[in-house]
Amino acid sequence: MAKQQTQQNELLKFVPRPNRPPITITYGPVGWLKKNLFGNIWNTLLTVAVFSLLFLLLKPFLEWTVLKAVWSASTRRECLEISPDGACWAGIFPWVNNLLYGLYPDNLQWRVNLGFAIGLLWFLPLALKKVHQKMVIALMGVILFPFLANYLFLGGDRSIFHYTIACSAFAYLLIVYVNIVLMYLCGKRLEQYLEPFMARFSQKNTTFLAHVTIWLLVTVLIAFIFRNQTLEHVPVDAWGGLFLTLIISGVSIVMALPIGIILALGRRSEMVIIKWFSICTIELVRSVPMITVLFMSVTMLPLFFPNTMELNKLAQVLVAVCLFAGAYMAETVRGGLQAIPRGQYDAAKSMGLSYWPTMILIILPQALRAMIPNIVTSFISLFKDTTLVSIIGLFDIMLMARNIAIDKNWLGLHAEPLVAISILFFVFCYTMSQYSQRLEKKLDTGR
Amino acid sequence: MELPFGFGFISSTAGFDIGWSIIPYDPTMSYGRVYLVGIVNTLILSALIILFSTILGFVVGIIRLSRNYLLAQCARWYVEFIRNIPLLIQIVFWFIVVFSTLPAPKKSYNFLDIFFLNNRGFYFPAPVFEPNSSWTVIVTLLACICSFILSRKSRTYRKRRGKRLPILYPSLLALLSFTAIVFIATGTPIHWAVPTLQGFNFQDGFFFPIAFSAAFVAMTIYRSATIGEMVRAGIQSIDSGQIEAAAAIGFSPFKTLRLIIVPQAARAILPPLINIWLTIVKESSLAVAIGFPELVSVFIQTSLNQTGRAIEIVMMVMGFYMCTSLSISFVMNRYNKRIQIQEG
Repeated sequence: MAKQQTQQNELLKFVPRPNRPPITITYGPVGWLKKNLFGNIWNTLLTVAVFSLLFLLLKPFLEWTVLKAVWSASTRRECLEISPDGACWAGIFPWVNNLLYGLYPDNLQWRVNLGFAIGLLWFLPLALKKVHQKMVIALMGVILFPFLANYLFLGGDRSIFHYTIACSAFAYLLIVYVNIVLMYLCGKRLEQYLEPFMARFSQKNTTFLAHVTIWLLVTVLIAFIFRNQTLEHVPVDAWGGLFLTLIISGVSIVMALPIGIILALGRRSEMVIIKWFSICTIELVRSVPMITVLFMSVTMLPLFFPNTMELNKLAQVLVAVCLFAGAYMAETVRGGLQAIPRGQYDAAKSMGLSYWPTMILIILPQALRAMIPNIVTSFISLFKDTTLVSIIGLFDIMLMARNIAIDKNWLGLHAEPLVAISILFFVFCYTMSQYSQRLEKKLDTGR
Repeated sequence: MELPFGFGFISSTAGFDIGWSIIPYDPTMSYGRVYLVGIVNTLILSALIILFSTILGFVVGIIRLSRNYLLAQCARWYVEFIRNIPLLIQIVFWFIVVFSTLPAPKKSYNFLDIFFLNNRGFYFPAPVFEPNSSWTVIVTLLACICSFILSRKSRTYRKRRGKRLPILYPSLLALLSFTAIVFIATGTPIHWAVPTLQGFNFQDGFFFPIAFSAAFVAMTIYRSATIGEMVRAGIQSIDSGQIEAAAAIGFSPFKTLRLIIVPQAARAILPPLINIWLTIVKESSLAVAIGFPELVSVFIQTSLNQTGRAIEIVMMVMGFYMCTSLSISFVMNRYNKRIQIQEG
């Protein structure tokens, strides 16, 4: 009995287990390193392997681009004498002007700068908080700004109609900015000062009337100030470089939206002819490469016009790119339209709205809002695709960069210009894509 | 300049040479043949790009999800860099900066004495079929068909009886052994022609010119980035509960991948993947910029300049791209419908 007791006691005797190993830290820089790079033996090996591979790849690249590069020389031969295995960035600098503006005359390039500055200024207020009627400003920008830009870029004797619209565009922008300044200073807009005066003539829409009156007055004033100024004509053939690339992508993305909306609505239409026309256009354009659409426009469009009429290449290219971008945009818009719940249509119908009011007031604003990230994405791809116009001989930034290699001072300088414009494109596209991703997140959480 | 509309020019002699073609061609042949050469070149180029960019894209996509931070970030920046630089710039860069500066044939890069890379192109061995090789080909095809039928049979058997029949190894063995027997019995009629340096250039074997290689490399890399992003999104779209459930019922990591992750990710990945494949076929036309004789180059550029028949030629080229796009999307959409979950 006693023996059994002792046996049991022995069995129940406390035997401590060995201590557990300390918890691996997963916080702080050390913990982060342990968790993400050196978690176990395989991970560590992998990290070391990747690191050495990166080193092997990046070192020659860095040496070529920065450490052994030549930044100032007058010819490529000189470059090669200074450093035979480094980049010759010196060749880019004399061409920067051409890469940006093409063959646009040096003394007139301020017009291009001014045009783009105005364009930026026009869309800047959209990001400000206190600005009213952003939609109207954007719409006016899309409608009026091209006239002003065209007037600035092309110059020469334009019709009085064109001149007036350009002036009115400038006037509109001026008023927008005066309004912004007044809003921040006094909290009142320009037309609100004029409202009591306007009320004497009309009871309704006094604000609108005041706005239009001010606009007309400023337009006349500007037209009067600049009446003797004629801008020197710069033919389209001289346009080039980044300037041309931006024009093509800008015009086509702006035109793509209305074309896309019309085609997308047509595709959902109940009228058979419109429906099939839209489907055929969208599917045809989407199923062929962009380069064939460009070739089609360049080779076939002249056949449909009388021989006497000369089409400039830029116009032909713009037609093709707009059509192409429009067909792709139509599918984006269709996606946006499909995302609108059925109830919205039904609700609009029960309110007694007919087709166009339903679309313009209810469906499209919601669909377009949801589509903004997609539109930015398609703008990025369009921006990249505009390099294709170099194949049919338009001097965009790509063809300009390739022309450096046939300059007699820089003969054979191929890699550096291509790398330079690649970096440019990367910066543009990466920023835009980050912006679109942020927008997407914002819209997602906003719902 | 008023040319009557008509396709009569197709049978007239083209009279210009084409740098590289898989089907036999010489300048005495007709424009119809030129069209065919362009189509075959385009299809070969795009088929190779589709194959390799899909493989590379899956690798990139999986690496992006790696738990190793450094590796994942490498994949991320690879994708960002590649997809934010226009394809045309990349193609021209590979062509002018990389492939055109390769050494001359006499000093070409040599891999195992059978692959050669120089400034004319990439040379590799080609199979040579002798007259009685057709038996081997026929038997191989028959064996393939048989094993396909067998696999279908085994699937129905499994569904009815709930038992797996061993299928992979027997059919592989049968395929190999039958082919080998016939191959030896007919006197080894197929052999490899290895390229050899003779004079200034390589003889025998087959080669891809540098324009082809540059276009292939540039587009494969470009599209691998896009496909990688898609694969990542597809895998991430799987609910993590699925993987945990698989672990809970004792699936090994490999089995989880094969039976749980891949089938579900495939549903998410396939529709955009089809779109990318279509884009690749269309995009292969960019090889025109570096002078690779594909359809747009030989037909819209050279033939159109010679004949002046803009409408007909543009119509024919667009027709080809449309037919290809529509047929690929038709076939793939049917396949896609089959693997999607049937709801309701």
